Amino acid sequence: MRSLLLAVLAAYVVAAIHAVLAFVNKRRSLQQVSFWALASGFLLHTIALLADWAIEGHYPLFALRETLSFLAWTLVGTYGLVLYRYRTQALGVLTLPLVAVLTFITIFIGASTNAATTVNEFSSTWLFPVHTTLVIFAYAAFFVVFVASLMYLFQERALKLKSFGAIFHRLPSLTKVNEIATSATAAGVTFLTVGIATGMLWASSRNGRIWHNDPKEIFAVLTWLLYVLLIIYRSTAGWRGRRAAWMGIAGFVLVLCTFLGARFMGGYHVFE
Amino acid sequence: MSILLVGINHKSAPVELRELLAFSEEACTEGLRQLVDGDVVQEALIVSTCNRVEVLTSTVTTRAGEGKERVAQFLSQSRRLPLSSFHDHIYHWSDDDAVRHLFRVASSLDSMVVGEPQVLGQVRRAYALAREAGTAGKVLNRLVHHAFRVAKRVRSETGIASNAVSISYMAVELGKKIFNSLQGHTVLLIGAGEMAELSARHLLNAGVERVLIANRSEAAASELAHRLGHKAVSVRRIEEHMAEADIVICSTGADHYVVTENMAREALDKRRNRPSFFIDISVPRNVDPRIGELPNTFVFDVDDLESVITSNIREREREAERAELIVESEIMQFQRALRALDFGPGIGALRQKLQDIARLELTRQRSKLGPLTPEQEKAVEALLLTTVKKISHPVLHQMRRSSEMADADPIQAWLEAFGSDEPAEK
Repeated sequence: MRSLLLAVLAAYVVAAIHAVLAFVNKRRSLQQVSFWALASGFLLHTIALLADWAIEGHYPLFALRETLSFLAWTLVGTYGLVLYRYRTQALGVLTLPLVAVLTFITIFIGASTNAATTVNEFSSTWLFPVHTTLVIFAYAAFFVVFVASLMYLFQERALKLKSFGAIFHRLPSLTKVNEIATSATAAGVTFLTVGIATGMLWASSRNGRIWHNDPKEIFAVLTWLLYVLLIIYRSTAGWRGRRAAWMGIAGFVLVLCTFLGARFMGGYHVFE
Repeated sequence: MSILLVGINHKSAPVELRELLAFSEEACTEGLRQLVDGDVVQEALIVSTCNRVEVLTSTVTTRAGEGKERVAQFLSQSRRLPLSSFHDHIYHWSDDDAVRHLFRVASSLDSMVVGEPQVLGQVRRAYALAREAGTAGKVLNRLVHHAFRVAKRVRSETGIASNAVSISYMAVELGKKIFNSLQGHTVLLIGAGEMAELSARHLLNAGVERVLIANRSEAAASELAHRLGHKAVSVRRIEEHMAEADIVICSTGADHYVVTENMAREALDKRRNRPSFFIDISVPRNVDPRIGELPNTFVFDVDDLESVITSNIREREREAERAELIVESEIMQFQRALRALDFGPGIGALRQKLQDIARLELTRQRSKLGPLTPEQEKAVEALLLTTVKKISHPVLHQMRRSSEMADADPIQAWLEAFGSDEPAEK
């Protein structure tokens, strides 16, 4: 298992390094290396997750280690989708190093120490895995919004100041990053909505309450509100460009708070 | 053989002299036939553009020293100029240096504006003419094709040609940066001057769908509209058209702001915040610079464009340094390919020799076979030749590979083993 994950890590590190080099050096051959390393890493990672599921006997998304691994896997998948849809490698420059770091932490964090009984309680119903999976998908989508927003702001600033460096020339156009951010926001909000709903259903089936006032819940709802507002503004007031980009960044700060919320602020979402 | 390049370019000679030495296409074909005498010069090609006249030749190695004088003489005779009038301006390179020079020219590293792509087309044309004249042989064929490959690598692997260095291209490049693609977009020209027209043409080539032309003199506007095949609009209704236009190019002689902040603000509202891009190429400026502070609006005046162009040229020069490295590594590869050429005849001769042996044996034994039908006759010959070919194939293949790797020793060893320096047994 560990050696499989090490292979995954190696592939991701190669992919990340080549993505950055390709971005800096504008070499198609480096992009190819990055792409195939990433594809093989993703395949191995998928196998690792499935093997984990089979061996541990529960859906591989519970302990911190599993969550990070699943998040890394989702980020790679999301990047693949963006690559396929928008033909832009620029996103990989930030995404792939993050993926490599997440995989690294996954490996060295060690196996989970959860008592089998706790895990079993959670995996006894399909609602819990669906809840966690969708929320992770939403996080990945919001990460894409975040990166696209950064790329937007960077280029907009360069255009206003009329000073263009090498990086400016290698980023996708304003319209394209705007489109990426728009569709990623829509996807993220959809996942988060269903994710929160299934979470509530699961909680009510567990102890009859759908709301526990814990930090993770509060932040999740704030995050949800912010992105819904962003969608509304975009479609009704023609909000786009800088303001939308700043909102995409603020939203991601909330996402981070949500993700880390339970760990540092305690509450209902602490299971370990 | 030895490669020699003699020429003048914009750095070595003034335009007056380059004009006198330039070759028209007809003169080029004719000149090439004169130059290639088979004695000293075996192959030749002439690149003649407004920035350079270069004669590239392949000469007999033992007489390579005469090559330079021979080409200079040729230039003097064919252009009817005394040698002394241009002798100090020509440069000459041989072998690796000549290869480097050609690679640099084709990759546009030697151009006035580094990275401009026209020169590659001109080299292509020169090569086509040399082929027509029949003066491009195995050395120049390889060399020129290799030069095309280098140019392609340089273009795709460095940013040498990626950033615009003229105002009209700048409009296209920035437009693409903002709108991604110009397909389906609308341009409004305010003022119908030459620069506006040039920019509009570039934008149309890049896919712009509609050009609206507003000018104080309506006649000039409709004339330009006619030339471009697009629409003239009234100058009094600029406000309305600004809402439709994604790109506004302003180049009037007015001494005040033709596009005011209020007009831009209203247009932006009507456009529901879709981005708009103003290019102001008039001096004094016609577009209020404060418009640049509005969201989703980008304004570039002449100074902005010029300063971006300056920095783009610097960027190209930085990229050119990387291109030089590519050129150096390709020179080494070309040397290899060239050495392979040297072995080519030896390998060919060996193959021929083996076939000759088979044919010779057939004639010897033919009488013992008795009368054969023509089909049988052919079959016997094919039998022999195919057998020889199949047996020798692995060896010849290996030799060819060694020759591509420029590894002389195994080739030499095989040639000796077959005794191929001696003539076939009679």
